[in-house]
Amino acid sequence: MSAETARHDAKTLRHQQPRFRGLEAGHRACQGCGEALAARLVTEAAGPDVMVANATGCLEVFTTPWPQSAWRLPWIHSVFGNAAAVAAGMEAALKQQGRRTRVLAFAGDGGTFDIGFQALSGMMERGHDVLFVCFDNEAYMNTGVQRSGSTPHAAMTNTSPPGTARMGKRHMKKDILAILAAHRIPYAATASVAYPSDLRKKVRRAMDTGGPVFLQVHSPCPLGWGHDSDLTVQVARLAVQTGLFPLVEMERGELIGTLPIREVRPVTDYLRLQQRFRHLFAGDFRAEKELEHLQAIADRNIERFELRGGGKERYDTEGADTVHRGGDRWA
Amino acid sequence: MTQIPPGAFAQPGTSLEFKTGSWRVQRPVHRHRAAPCHAACPAGEDAQAYLARVEVGDLQGAWETLVSANPLPAITGRVCPHPCETACNRGQYDEAIGIHAVERYLGDEALRREWPYPVPAPGSDAPRVAVVGAGPAGLAAAYHLLRGGCRVTLVEALAAAGGTVRTAIPRYRLPLDTLEAETARLLALPGLDFRPHTQLGRDVSLEELRSEHAALFLAPGRRKGQEWNADFAIPGDLHTGLHLLETWVAEGTLPDHPGAVAIVGGGNTAVDLSRVLRRQGVPSVHLITHQRIPAPGVPAEDVMRANPREVAQAVEEGVTIHEHRGVRRLILRGERVVGMELVHMKKLPDADGRLQRVAFEGTETVLHVDHVIPAIGQEVDPAGFEALVERGRIPVDPWWGRVQGQTHLFAGGDARGDHGSVSEAVGDGRRAALGILAVLAGESLEPPTPPEPVPFSDLNLHYFEPAPAAREPVLPPQERRGLEEVEGGLDLHGVRHEAHRCLSCGECLACDNCWTLCPDQAVLKTRERAADGSHYVFDYDYCKGCGICARECPTGYIRMES
Repeated sequence: MSAETARHDAKTLRHQQPRFRGLEAGHRACQGCGEALAARLVTEAAGPDVMVANATGCLEVFTTPWPQSAWRLPWIHSVFGNAAAVAAGMEAALKQQGRRTRVLAFAGDGGTFDIGFQALSGMMERGHDVLFVCFDNEAYMNTGVQRSGSTPHAAMTNTSPPGTARMGKRHMKKDILAILAAHRIPYAATASVAYPSDLRKKVRRAMDTGGPVFLQVHSPCPLGWGHDSDLTVQVARLAVQTGLFPLVEMERGELIGTLPIREVRPVTDYLRLQQRFRHLFAGDFRAEKELEHLQAIADRNIERFELRGGGKERYDTEGADTVHRGGDRWA
Repeated sequence: MTQIPPGAFAQPGTSLEFKTGSWRVQRPVHRHRAAPCHAACPAGEDAQAYLARVEVGDLQGAWETLVSANPLPAITGRVCPHPCETACNRGQYDEAIGIHAVERYLGDEALRREWPYPVPAPGSDAPRVAVVGAGPAGLAAAYHLLRGGCRVTLVEALAAAGGTVRTAIPRYRLPLDTLEAETARLLALPGLDFRPHTQLGRDVSLEELRSEHAALFLAPGRRKGQEWNADFAIPGDLHTGLHLLETWVAEGTLPDHPGAVAIVGGGNTAVDLSRVLRRQGVPSVHLITHQRIPAPGVPAEDVMRANPREVAQAVEEGVTIHEHRGVRRLILRGERVVGMELVHMKKLPDADGRLQRVAFEGTETVLHVDHVIPAIGQEVDPAGFEALVERGRIPVDPWWGRVQGQTHLFAGGDARGDHGSVSEAVGDGRRAALGILAVLAGESLEPPTPPEPVPFSDLNLHYFEPAPAAREPVLPPQERRGLEEVEGGLDLHGVRHEAHRCLSCGECLACDNCWTLCPDQAVLKTRERAADGSHYVFDYDYCKGCGICARECPTGYIRMES
């Protein structure tokens, strides 16, 4: 086969990719799925010698349409709430066998914030060497967009519809990172699909740290959030740039790093792109009030984590993903 | 060992059996589009392409890309008003790329290191083509004809090649040794027969050239300073600006002009001469133009035709420019000029929408000057080809430059009459050469569709960082007395900095964004590193057409197609 045909033979080329393909093509995620992108990036950075325990959710469903599987690593699914418990058992068994294979637990925000929380808290408390990754798409997307503990305030879901009484979800997004930090685990961080270098760096740091470690990855859902499929990365980036999804790292419960925002954008830049916040642009006084409320939440995040740029950090929301000819990203 | 029932497991990676590509309604494609600098270059240079070569450290490759369009980069890098930089998308982001400095650096490096022009020696049966005039247009045409496999007879009236670049561009803009070196290298190319001191109409006739050559390219330039055709009294000893400028360039000195001098005109001749007079120690030099000093926001039709950089430097050197002014009459005492009456003037559309100069009554002012020099334009000297000239210009097909009503006769450069810069002349020469090659091959000449440049809005600027442009050293105005070059050019560090700042509009950067951000592993990377997008392959078996790659492509190189 000549070099020319080899270059364009995708089948051959696929097996020559200079990265670990933990999550293979052919999975059934929607177009522009943020979670699929996040899982791909996480397994690339963590693999190849890893095993995954997966909670019920989109990720579990779209990657394993029986009799097929998109995973190219040992992977198990049990039930919705026990991903952390299964991972803890896997870790204990591997330790018993004297193997060095590392264990990851994957769950959506439902499997982390709500249904899987008890198992997660227990696993953290017992100190298992597991990286628990929460793919946070801010609602129960797999079952048809119901609110979760992670759904942000004022977002529309099928169980938090806007109407005369409420403007979308009444309650606040649960601060899961603070709860995890309260477990005094060695490493906990937030990341976003819009900042792949930052995400990969955090996965590697978590793997190097060892012990019970936690990563929350903001993963837009075009279907559930109501934005065009090509805007996934753009929406995720705006969540960070507005301050609504701060990218921070914690060790033993203490804040040790943030991704500073060079130019803070108004929350409306982020909200306007999504149908789940459509009712906030109706122009009436309730909508205005909620917009101000969300802006205040973003402002508080920026204040609390001192996210405004201009500090010593070399990489901020503008510099973290600067591209160069030849693809040499910083992580 | 526990048996796992078949319904409870699946083999790894078997999802590949399911081709998610069937979901797609739109597909991403790699689509190279012209960068604005490329589309704007009158000489046809693809600056984006050679900046990319510079960035990867391949200077000779960059120069070869550059001279595939323009064989005179050391010259044009110095004297061109660089419309590429005006068009540069980066100008809307922070500062335009200093393309002229990169061009100049590559041209100088080629001279220093003697990189050979990529021109093969012509075969024994190569057709002969005659080129009249060894200015930028003629040199470019000869070069591209040689590249196309022709033999060329290059006829020049003067003793040396260069045309206006040699006779009327002051040395502080273009040093003589740069001009000599670059033209000498071109003249030494195999297959080129250079005949200096050969004037059309005096030493050789058009018919002779036609009978001995398969085709002809005329680039005689506009060598005659336009006389002042004014309805007021003018002194007898009046010299045109072009004449004085040529005298200074040739001899390095001028007759004394004590007192105040007014130059009438807003073109390069007027501005160059004003700066020459300042260098000669004339205390007060005025430039009278009915147009305006180039500045952001000034409409193009109202801007002085001179190179904006030169205008700015003239102002720095103490030249007073009177904008929107016309000369109503000269105030004479006997034969001697003592002043001139100026009037406010502007170009306004007439009943047919054509721009006409309008003088505003009641705005007259008097300027006290001792000399007046008209620099209002140049004309074609039609000796030897009188039949081809119509109203002072040779009418040609605007793209190829074929003379109207002719098949194998082309013309270009200043003699066309519709433009007057060195780069435009180089472009004329190149297109005419390509036209001649097509005609000799029996093809018909169709004007190509102009490239659609990548608009600023098609770039994803999130992936770039602001960076100030590299500044080339400029001689301080008080030291600009002699022939020393005003602009110092950039060093290798500066040139690579500029190349690194290039946004690579419309062309793949090989930045890995599409490969990194595809949720479906449908963008694959090849082992070869290329800059044309062949580095990445879309696997349409699995691409769902979400459009993330196109949206996040920094350079607008990926498009979604139905």
